[in-house]
This record gives sequence, structure tokens and C-alpha cells, in this order.
Amino acid sequence: MTELFVNMGELKVLEGNGRLITVGLGSCVGVALLDVQNKVAGLAHVFLANSGNHKPSDQPGKFADTAIPALLDSVLKKGARRYQLKAKIAGGAHLFPTAAGASLNVGKQNVEAVRRHLREVGVPLVAEDVEGSYGRKLVVNVDDGTVIVQAIGQSAREL
Amino acid sequence: MAKRVLVVDDTAFMRMSLRNVLEKNGYEVAGEAADGEEAVAKYQELKPDVVTMDITMPKKDGITAIKEILADDPGAKVVVCSAMGQKPMVIEALSAGAKDFLVKPFQPERVIEALNKVAG
Amino acid sequence: MRSRDELTPMQQDLLRELGNIGAGNATSALSTLLGDKRLDMVVPEVVVCSLPDTMGLVGGPEMVVVGIYITMSGDADGHIAFMLPKDSALSLVGILVGMPVEELDEMALSALQEVGNIVVASYLNALSDMTGLKLVPSVPALAVDMAGAVWGAILAGAQITEDFITVIKAAFQVDGTSLDALIMMIPEADYFERIFSILLGTEAGE
Repeated sequence: MTELFVNMGELKVLEGNGRLITVGLGSCVGVALLDVQNKVAGLAHVFLANSGNHKPSDQPGKFADTAIPALLDSVLKKGARRYQLKAKIAGGAHLFPTAAGASLNVGKQNVEAVRRHLREVGVPLVAEDVEGSYGRKLVVNVDDGTVIVQAIGQSAREL
Repeated sequence: MAKRVLVVDDTAFMRMSLRNVLEKNGYEVAGEAADGEEAVAKYQELKPDVVTMDITMPKKDGITAIKEILADDPGAKVVVCSAMGQKPMVIEALSAGAKDFLVKPFQPERVIEALNKVAG
Repeated sequence: MRSRDELTPMQQDLLRELGNIGAGNATSALSTLLGDKRLDMVVPEVVVCSLPDTMGLVGGPEMVVVGIYITMSGDADGHIAFMLPKDSALSLVGILVGMPVEELDEMALSALQEVGNIVVASYLNALSDMTGLKLVPSVPALAVDMAGAVWGAILAGAQITEDFITVIKAAFQVDGTSLDALIMMIPEADYFERIFSILLGTEAGE
């Protein structure tokens, strides 16, 4: 079975019988787009909400505003049907709530940006496990569209 | 009579270490404070003989706390115990009225030496 | 200013040397804290890499670490992480309190926070002596989590939007124990500008 690891700022797509995995989501948000019927899934590890003036062509997965359209585009190219797509997200924690400048809650900003951009492209968000103050690992099973979330010291659970 | 010390540091571990050193050497810890605000309030409440003061702390930093303590009691004796040993910071602390400046990590003897000199 | 092409070999060399001096002072501080134990410092590196590649710097994203995050302000801005694997953190606290420690309870975390504070402040003290800049560390914040989550949150705190990140990294090992620790500094553009103009007499990016 194919297992693809998605690093911070990356996005990857898989079809058939594999897993997409991202480890160590802190303030970052893992965004999974799933088409169960066609067994296509994509996963982005979103780092910040806005690319601002900096539109990266080689790392669209880094920012929510560039990641969602690019992820959508990639799963459609792999054969997903737009009307069958569903989204599941996890992450957006606030790991250092006492840090200087912590009023800037990057995790929360990321979650809000991801939700907004998903709405804009019209993909329904069907499950989420977001915010809190702990990191997460995310495993996407492409064939059945299940998404497993795990935090340190906690048991894995299906999203 | 044992000299009474107010220990100011934002980490519980450092307060505990200082307390151990002080009590072993005949000082009495009159109280502890975890930030500059608490330090000023505790100073007024406890009127200690001497204060050990950290600089980098939440809410109010040590330099501001020193200024406020001295404005209230010009005879206050404050010894800074901070990891921030940069020249501008040392000068700032001394001109704010600190009597001595110890850079962490420090040897226990150095703390006692400084306190003996200041409080003695 | 954080991109690969904009740093000349001379500038990279200077950053490495500053990293060396900072980490040297941090090493002495850590050694004193640990009762004059001998510490080995791996020569600091100046790493310029893309965001996905930065995970390699912290030994993989899934390892559980203690991360202490301190921001630098004053005459120049930056973000500094002091990170150590959980077992190293336990060893470190064990050496500090003089007995084996099996759990990271509140007092252990407080001790680690203070160690991070002292190590990072010592690092900055040396940089300040060298450059004359006032470099003020913030109150340390601490998290125990997957390395990827901790490091990612620090990078996000630094709001890095550029394609490449410059990280100044130093690693320590304590003789005879399984204690490893890392100091990582992510300077803001003004740090480069200031130190290059002070020490090389040039403007950054020249």
C-alpha cells in the first residue's frame, strides 16, 4: 500500500488504495479533500492563512488561500468529481499560549481561513478537530475516506 | 535576626533554588513573587530587607519593578539576578537603583556574597 | 532577505561565527547549570532551506520534544527555539535536581523553562557583546509535543512567507549522558541588516 507523507507546506494527492499522512500539525492545519466513490484524496499541510504579496508557485500548500484552490485542482485532475468532494480538517492548535505576541493566534487564523476558502470553492466541511493546545498526527485512508487523528498521549480517533 | 528577602523570579524552579541557597545561609525568605506587578505589591506588604529581582518577567519587567519599588521606598535594596547580562541592561538596572547585578547561571556563593554586602 | 541567493559567502560566514560565539556562551552557561559537566557543542550551521525541509533540522516531526520559544526584540528581532527530546529533558532535570526524574511534572517544566531562559539569554548576551546591539529575550514559553508541531508553531510565529528560511542552528551533547539539545535562531530581516552593517560595514543584500 502506498503511504505518502505530506510535509509542512506541502500538498499531495493519491488515488486507489493508499494513505496520506501528515505528522506534527501544531498551529498548521491539515486539509483533506475526499471523493470516496472515485477513491481520490488530497491532503495539504497549511502553514499560514495568507500568502499576502508572496504567491508561491512551487509551494501552494503553504498558505490557506493558495492551498485550497491548488488542492481542489489536483484532486480533480486525479479524477475526483467536484460534487462528490467532502473536506475534513484538523490542527490549528495554539501551542504557546503564553508566548510573547501570542495574541496572534496563528492556529485559529489558519482554521478560519481554511473554512472560508473551503466555502468559497463550495466543498462541504463534514468533520473537524481543531484548535486546543496540542499537536496532531493525521492519517487519510484514501479508499474509504476515513481520517484518523492522534495527539500525544491520547488514543487515535476517527474524524 | 535573620535578614528578610523577597525573591522575585517568574519560574518556580528558580525561586525554589534561591530559597534553598538563602535559607542555608541564614536568610529568611519573607515572600516570593512571580512577576514585576506582584513584586511591587509584595514589597509594600512585606517590607523585606533585600530583594532578588529577575528582569525578564511577564506583566511587568524587573527594571520597571525596581523603579516603582524605589519610588515608594528610596532605601530599598535590590539585587538583580537575571540571565540578561548585556551591558546596556546592566547599566539600565544599576541606574534604576539596583545595588548589584548577578548574571545567571550563578554560583550560590556569589548570591550570598552580594546579599551580605548589600543587606549587611 | 532570507532567500538563498541574497546571502554572500562572507555574510554566511559571519552568521556562522556569530552563531558560534552565541552558542559557545550558551554552552558555558549550560555547563555551569549542570554543575560543570563537560558539554560538546557541534559547530553551528547556517542552514538555508525550504519550509518542508526544515523538519529535518529537528530530527523528524514525530519525536516528542520539549520546546522553549523565546522571541528577541530590542535593536533587532528574531525567534529562538531551545529544543530537546523528551528523554534528554528528563536527563537534564535529573542532573539539575541530583536524582533520576521520570516525569515532566510542573517543577520539572519550570526548571526546563529556566534552563531555556538562561541558555538563550547567554546566547544573546554574547551576540550583544560582539555587536553592541541590545537584544532583549522575551519570557520563555514552553510546550511538550511532537517536534513538528512545536517547530511548526515557532516558524508560524515568525510568520515566514518567503520560500527559504535562514536558520542558525547549534547542537549540544553532554558527556556521558544521553542529553542532546538544539538552539535554533530565525532572525528577522532587520537582524541581518544591523549585524552586516556593524560588522562588515555594508548594507544587507549588497
